[in-house]
Amino acid sequence: MNDDFEQHLRRQPMREIPRTWRAEILAAANPAPRKSHWWVLLSTFNLNPSTSLRWGTLAAVWVVIFALHHSTRDASPVVQAKYTPPSPQMILVLREQKELLAELEQSGEIPQADRPKPVQPRPQSQRREETVTV
Amino acid sequence: MPDQLARLYDDHAQPLFAFLLNFTRNEDDTREVLQEIFVKLARQPDLLRSAHNERAFLIRLAHNAAIDHMRRRGTRARRDDEFSAESLQAFAPTSDPDEAAFRAGLTAALVEVPPDQRAVVHLKLWEGLTFEEIAEALEIPPNTAASRYRYGLDKLRERLRPLYEEIK
Repeated sequence: MNDDFEQHLRRQPMREIPRTWRAEILAAANPAPRKSHWWVLLSTFNLNPSTSLRWGTLAAVWVVIFALHHSTRDASPVVQAKYTPPSPQMILVLREQKELLAELEQSGEIPQADRPKPVQPRPQSQRREETVTV
Repeated sequence: MPDQLARLYDDHAQPLFAFLLNFTRNEDDTREVLQEIFVKLARQPDLLRSAHNERAFLIRLAHNAAIDHMRRRGTRARRDDEFSAESLQAFAPTSDPDEAAFRAGLTAALVEVPPDQRAVVHLKLWEGLTFEEIAEALEIPPNTAASRYRYGLDKLRERLRPLYEEIK
């Protein structure tokens, strides 16, 4: 009975694996890379084993950044106006004002700011009367 | 690597599926563990390089992954397992009513065999492995594999004797 029973068990076929699992499991094991502009560039830099390609990518990024920065600075009228040198007349007026200020300081004509007057303490009773009168 | 992974799937997924289904008694768990194995193989392509027996190595991976998976699920899921085991179809359907009854009885009887014995019984009966190969796959001594097989088979025989006598 032992051999027959074992042989009978051996002849029982196991159920087949569901056919849909193959694609699902292999897709899960090998996920497709996502395509987006900056991500592709970043993943190339991070995942590509070629060191020269990594540095080349980084250098290209820096060149683009410098080019953008330079072109923006030169073309801006606001920045140009900010650095326009003052006219000779304006320099003359400023120099005269500076000399006048120096003379006033030497002659002592600049009025000193008024110091606050010292407050004289008064008796409590008098203060109360003034308050009542007002 | 995708081609290599597809080749591994075509060569080994069916026996791994049968082993895992018999071991976990749950189709969802079987699916998860099988996927876990192939994700691991995709992430570590050198994993199989040192294996001299691909099938035994993959069965060991499946066995360890299934044990980890069942531990993670914990005791809370055991009730669900008992419920799903009643409706589990581990064997191929057949139009012969006697064989269908025997397969249903065999599926139910396997639930009562402890998992460590069930794993050995499965590999011996339905994978045709020797005790040495089973010992290598399950990381146990060959004598332990042989004794687990005997204990497991005795339980099946005891449980299935009436059915087997009927169809013999």
